[in-house]
Amino acid sequence: MFDYTYLPSPNLLPSLVEMMLKIIFICTMNMAVFAPVLGWVERKQSALMQDRIGANRAEIFGFTVFGLLHVATDALKLLFKEDFIPRGADRPLHYLAPFIAVVPALVAFAVIPFGGKYMLWGHEANLVIADLNVGMLYIFAVASLSTYGAVIGGWASNNSWSLLGGLRVGAQMLSYEVAMGLTLVGVFMVYGSLQLTTIGMAQENFFHWGIFLQPLGFILFITCALAENKRTPFDIPEAESELIAGYFTEYSGLKFAMFWMSEFLEMVTISAVLVALFFGGWQIPFISHQGLIDAMGHLFGPNFGAIVAMLIHVVVFWVKVISWIVILMLIRWSLPRFRFDQVMRLGWKIVLPLALANIVVTGFILLAVR
Amino acid sequence: MAANYKKVNRGVKLTLWERLYVMEVVRGVTITARHFFRNWVSTFRSYVSGNPAERGIMTIYYPEEKPVVPEAYRGRPMLVRAMDGKEKCVACGLCEVACPAKCISIVGAMRPDGTRYPETYTLDGAVCIFCGLCEEACPEEAIVMTHNYEGLVEYDRRLMLYDKEALLVPEDKLKGRLDYIRRRMYNKCNY
Ligand code: SF4
Ligand code: SF4
Repeated sequence: MFDYTYLPSPNLLPSLVEMMLKIIFICTMNMAVFAPVLGWVERKQSALMQDRIGANRAEIFGFTVFGLLHVATDALKLLFKEDFIPRGADRPLHYLAPFIAVVPALVAFAVIPFGGKYMLWGHEANLVIADLNVGMLYIFAVASLSTYGAVIGGWASNNSWSLLGGLRVGAQMLSYEVAMGLTLVGVFMVYGSLQLTTIGMAQENFFHWGIFLQPLGFILFITCALAENKRTPFDIPEAESELIAGYFTEYSGLKFAMFWMSEFLEMVTISAVLVALFFGGWQIPFISHQGLIDAMGHLFGPNFGAIVAMLIHVVVFWVKVISWIVILMLIRWSLPRFRFDQVMRLGWKIVLPLALANIVVTGFILLAVR
Repeated sequence: MAANYKKVNRGVKLTLWERLYVMEVVRGVTITARHFFRNWVSTFRSYVSGNPAERGIMTIYYPEEKPVVPEAYRGRPMLVRAMDGKEKCVACGLCEVACPAKCISIVGAMRPDGTRYPETYTLDGAVCIFCGLCEEACPEEAIVMTHNYEGLVEYDRRLMLYDKEALLVPEDKLKGRLDYIRRRMYNKCNY
């Protein structure tokens, strides 16, 4: 039976307002904050890691704001650049590919809770856009969709490098999609749910965070997630030194920017999933969800107390996500690229068996504990 | 010397610990993370205090901050004007001969008191290779390589043909370099 609980309740207007606010919040966070700012973060962070200064010359009236204005100049430049389509390219698919790449990264966020449930003036606000009971399955499904963007982009460009890149995306995603699903089975077994809000609530106790209950699952998942993200060390689909730019060699202007953005948004989504599954979601260590709401309720009254608790939880969630983005960037700028056969071997011969073993061991431990 | 080099183990089989890879990744990321956070803090501190030396990064914001060049740096070659206003050069022509690029040309003349001076001294800045041989050849310490590394090029080569007036610099402005030459040229190892 399909669960309809995520649909708006009969009390329509507050639900509608809540829904709109959540969607606007997530879209703004992703498109207006993370997508552009991560371009700056990547430049500056890689520069500092390599003892350089990094982009800092774009200025308005002498203000450079630590190089943040380069984001604006980037956007302007890409906006006015010629949108080049190579001769012999499959024009409709060439147009479509960047959109297919960027949309899944964004919509995957729909099921990730960035806060818990709060009673505001008799209306229960649930800080997740769609509280699906199949949450993680939905993320898997949508994440594999973004593969199509890359594969189609590679095929439609009528360019050998692009095609090779697209083929590599296909092979890599296929391998790691399998392993990725299996690495998380352990998590689902432990928490007994696929619903991310339930998993989030189950991590109220600091020592019940996924990282403590599923350490191996965590390492395997982060490996697969890095591979899904198509960034170094798993960037063979776009390996600059081998394939120019891989599947988006023939893209320019805003369509190039969309591939670029999809990579960054995927990184945000991966960090959010990591936080939701392994790092307690919006929970603060040693402070229970209801405990914070009650404490704030004493200070500010029930409704405003709930709002303050909600804000604290949302900020905690984003702080965790941002820390994970920084760590993913560190990994991206520290490790060299794997060879194609190494990627395949890691996926099929190491991660997949380990994931299966993890499931079996988790099963036995659960049997023993219960 | 040896302390600057580290012998790299190539072709040796990795240990099991290294083959596990995960902990090696953590080790590598720790190193880059250390650089990242250290540079972050020092950059921010230098931004607050306004002292570029605190940045701890080798990069220099060039036009705003000037690099401090080492003593032996060879910038634009210039002529020394003695404190009494006369050129130190005696138009002996040694620099002209020493110059491997052949960019110096001198016409000598004699003052009423019998001392010699260059009537014209032309140095083609477009041809000079900043080798510093003129400085070494000069017996009078009359031509020196300055620390001036800016404005060495023009859009027109004719503008880079410097005459005597453009080359002459008062002696006190070149004091550092002259001290350096005396220390370097007349110390034991040069004989
Ligand atoms: S620096 Fe070298 S090339 Fe330049 S004028 Fe002197 S001797 Fe000639
Ligand atoms: S600069 Fe020195 S070497 Fe050259 S002509 Fe004058 S005195 Fe002789």
